[in-house]
Amino acid sequence: MQFFQFTEEQDMLRKAVREFVDAEVAPKAKEWDENDHCPVELWPMMGELGLCGVFVPEEYGGAGLGMTERAIVLEEISRHSAGLGIALMTHHLGVAAILYYGNEDQKKRYLPDLCSGKKVGGLSVTEPGGGSDFMGQKCTGELKDGMWVLNGRKCFITNSHIADVDVWTVITGQDEKGRPVMTAFIIDGDAEGHAPGRKEHKLGLRGSVTGDVVCNNVKVAPSQMLQKEGAGAKIAMTTIQEVGRAGMSAINVGILRGCIEEGVKFANERIIYGKPLSKVQAIQLLIGECRVEYEAAKLLTYRAAGMRDAGIPCATEFACAKYFSTEAAVRSSKRIMDAMGGYGIVNEYPVGRFLRDGLASIAAGGTSQIQLLIAAGATLSGK
Amino acid sequence: MKTTNPADWKGILVVGEITNCRLQPVSHELVGKALQLKQDCPAAGEVSVVLIGSGIAAAGKEMQTSGADELILVDHSQCALFHNDLYAAILKNIIEARKPSVVLFPATARYQDLASMLGIRLDTGVAAHCVDIRINETGDILAVVPAFGGKVLGDILCPAHRPQMATAKPGIFRPGEAKPGHTAKVSAFDAGGVIAETMGKTRLVALDAASCAVPEGIPLEKAPVVVCGGWGMGSKENWQLLGELAGMLGGAVGCTRPAIDEGWMPDESSMIGTSGKVIRPKVYIGAALSGSSHHVCGMKDSDLIISINNDPQAAIFEVSDIRVVGDAKQVLSALIERIRTIRSA
Amino acid sequence: MGISIAVCIKPVPDPAHYDKIKIDPVKKTVVREGIPTILNPCDKHALEAALQLRGPDGLVTVIAMAPPNAEETLREALAMGADAAVLLTDRAFAGADTWATSYTLAAGLKKAGNFDLILTGTESADGATTQVPAQLAEWLSWPHLWNAVAIETAGETALKVKTKAENEWSDYQIGLPCLLAVSREANKPRLTSLMGVMKAKKKPLTVWNRCDLDVEDASLGMPGSPTQPGAIFEPEMGRKGIVLSGDAEEIAAQLVEKLRSAGLSIETGDTCAPGGAGV
Repeated sequence: MQFFQFTEEQDMLRKAVREFVDAEVAPKAKEWDENDHCPVELWPMMGELGLCGVFVPEEYGGAGLGMTERAIVLEEISRHSAGLGIALMTHHLGVAAILYYGNEDQKKRYLPDLCSGKKVGGLSVTEPGGGSDFMGQKCTGELKDGMWVLNGRKCFITNSHIADVDVWTVITGQDEKGRPVMTAFIIDGDAEGHAPGRKEHKLGLRGSVTGDVVCNNVKVAPSQMLQKEGAGAKIAMTTIQEVGRAGMSAINVGILRGCIEEGVKFANERIIYGKPLSKVQAIQLLIGECRVEYEAAKLLTYRAAGMRDAGIPCATEFACAKYFSTEAAVRSSKRIMDAMGGYGIVNEYPVGRFLRDGLASIAAGGTSQIQLLIAAGATLSGK
Repeated sequence: MKTTNPADWKGILVVGEITNCRLQPVSHELVGKALQLKQDCPAAGEVSVVLIGSGIAAAGKEMQTSGADELILVDHSQCALFHNDLYAAILKNIIEARKPSVVLFPATARYQDLASMLGIRLDTGVAAHCVDIRINETGDILAVVPAFGGKVLGDILCPAHRPQMATAKPGIFRPGEAKPGHTAKVSAFDAGGVIAETMGKTRLVALDAASCAVPEGIPLEKAPVVVCGGWGMGSKENWQLLGELAGMLGGAVGCTRPAIDEGWMPDESSMIGTSGKVIRPKVYIGAALSGSSHHVCGMKDSDLIISINNDPQAAIFEVSDIRVVGDAKQVLSALIERIRTIRSA
Repeated sequence: MGISIAVCIKPVPDPAHYDKIKIDPVKKTVVREGIPTILNPCDKHALEAALQLRGPDGLVTVIAMAPPNAEETLREALAMGADAAVLLTDRAFAGADTWATSYTLAAGLKKAGNFDLILTGTESADGATTQVPAQLAEWLSWPHLWNAVAIETAGETALKVKTKAENEWSDYQIGLPCLLAVSREANKPRLTSLMGVMKAKKKPLTVWNRCDLDVEDASLGMPGSPTQPGAIFEPEMGRKGIVLSGDAEEIAAQLVEKLRSAGLSIETGDTCAPGGAGV
């Protein structure tokens, strides 16, 4: 058993991200939530600071770091804006799909602009039929005259309206046993026939755009295919499992820290019966529970991230981390609301937003029940 | 480091400031403090003032009735533009010739710079941004200086070195008053030699100077009412309320640093606090500002302090005569409306 | 050969937390527990100016006189983009006033290299004397300017500098080598990138103590300082602290009365002094 501690560089890195967040995110987070505005304008700056390509090697324009550092970035951003957190985390999904499964050409063509923040990335998998009914996808790709023609509608897609580089999964046929063959393509956002559809009006994680993306006879060259026909399922699955859930876990660790920091601030400032609220034991218990949940979520998330960086399979660990941290974020924000009384439901305070963001996080990257099934499956099979 | 024999040094020298041919009010304030030191310790000696510039006869005339015993004028065309190397060389000459025990400087951008330089050139200590200066019976100075944005005050002594130097910001001390009919003895210092010597070797050339755009209306330091806003005002639109109220009350608008960062105020000229201005209005109204020690240091001597903040724990309330726990925008709007109603009646 | 710039920096307790500073009633010392140490905010503007002036072949060295844990602050400056760092640290330097601080820094700078330009902030957040830039320049016998808002090169050997005093801007030409105290208004310091953080650990950081510097012991630290500290205390803030209550209209009515009793004429707007509107 190794002692769990961040390295000096990771601490410095966190401080650097925090400086960015304090200057550019914290003051505007409330406004983004209220207006449901996704701050795409921050992408170039986030690119320059290394946040857009944090885990991409330097040769492709990234910061050359790993999943642990990415989790730090997402935690710090989501401490103030989980909305921007999920927008950036989804950008990372598009980046990861190309980085881990693209060929050298594809990486050289797409990653530098995605890392510099010149372009926004996305990953479109979920369909109206549902996200977790993975192989039930209806979108299709057909090879005609040397070009792949893509058709169909994706829904609940984060970055739907802002992605310049969109990785899609489509069904390109059936194998010999009659099972669908899923294939992944990189689509340029401005490709003819590729367009955003309806935009969802969300409960939480506002400040990120979620909606439909439609392909209507979109023609893409075979060179846009990631790996080979039939590789799409694996690409989408592992990206969602090990990059998506990692991101959602880190985002909710950020929300949990936000709950604690806002709760402590309020409890110290609010005077009741002549003394600060923080002196009341009933309030202390609420703060204590939040602390325990934050610590647990942090350990689960960063341990899984550390495994990912060490090249150890970690789908189960991320399922556990995602399940726990999102549920804990909901419980903790509710708890802080309780502690704040009437103030808790006033939108001047961010805790109501934390609750909504926590709730919205549960559906993203597989619901809590899906995570439990993954954990159960691994446990029952002795893994 | 050499030490000096305090007994060889006598008198209080005030370095007055002239900017753009105009005598700066802080010069009178420093004379006021010097006169008080002389009163508290007659052994300290006479109060002299030195003024440096070009075409400064009018400023000199004004200074003659400040209450100082003596006025030294350094009037030279080469001194028209501020040149720290030259001004410091001139002052070093004067101080070495006259050996004053105490030298007081304005803690302004230019003159604190001179005080700092002379600390090295004369091998002595400089107490910075004093909020008070006291003297004992033997003429030793005790300067009270702020640290940590004014949260802490500390005494500074300069036991073994002379002169004892100190700087004070404009607005800290009250101007002196001359006895009726008293005028200072005037002497001119011939700076020709030191100017030739300094300009012959310096690598600094003063090219030009221009007045900064002065905000319209009453200068902050002279306004009887200052309406000061902080970050909590929330928007440029809400910020307008401060100007509206200040206009109605014949006052000026001040701010804390976040308002400059947000772009609600153009620059630091309206900032109140340790790194901004020190004000002492009849009425100070602080709206939606937390009251950090930096800010408090710049306004705590106002006659009446009114604060509006929605956080009952805001530090500004600690230093307020009137505390309003509430939304600054609503309270200011209501106050403006009320005054408007009274006036139209 | 590009320009070689030294930037003097100082770790200070974060000014956002100065309200938490207390004086120990028994020991009569400043208690700054729990207040994080940061790079002095003004110094970031100096570092930013240096990074902008550096050009492709230039070199920016940051230097601090501070306790050993200042290495962290120096690393932060390296992460922001400086090329090398020097820390002057020794118990003998402790308690120095601006005279002794500038003396020690000057010795460190002389040893560290042939700099063309030294940049500093205008003041430190904690002591805020504003004296060290000028005094450092004096020890080096270099010309200097305080509160530079704009800096541009004027040929190979000089700079054109605009400074700001309270009511005036001034333009100067200043020959190299020289020292400039950079204004907060000069620039917006860059944020530190993740790449910068990772590069910082590979950059050189040199630590020197008293024995490494050509200094006289009698001029170091508190014993070597012309000014000596006396008592410390918290300022008196005796105020009435009347709390007004009611809705905004009721409060406004009470405030009008308070303004009246302070001598303002609410009816006429002819208040204590003539003049127009504020800003």
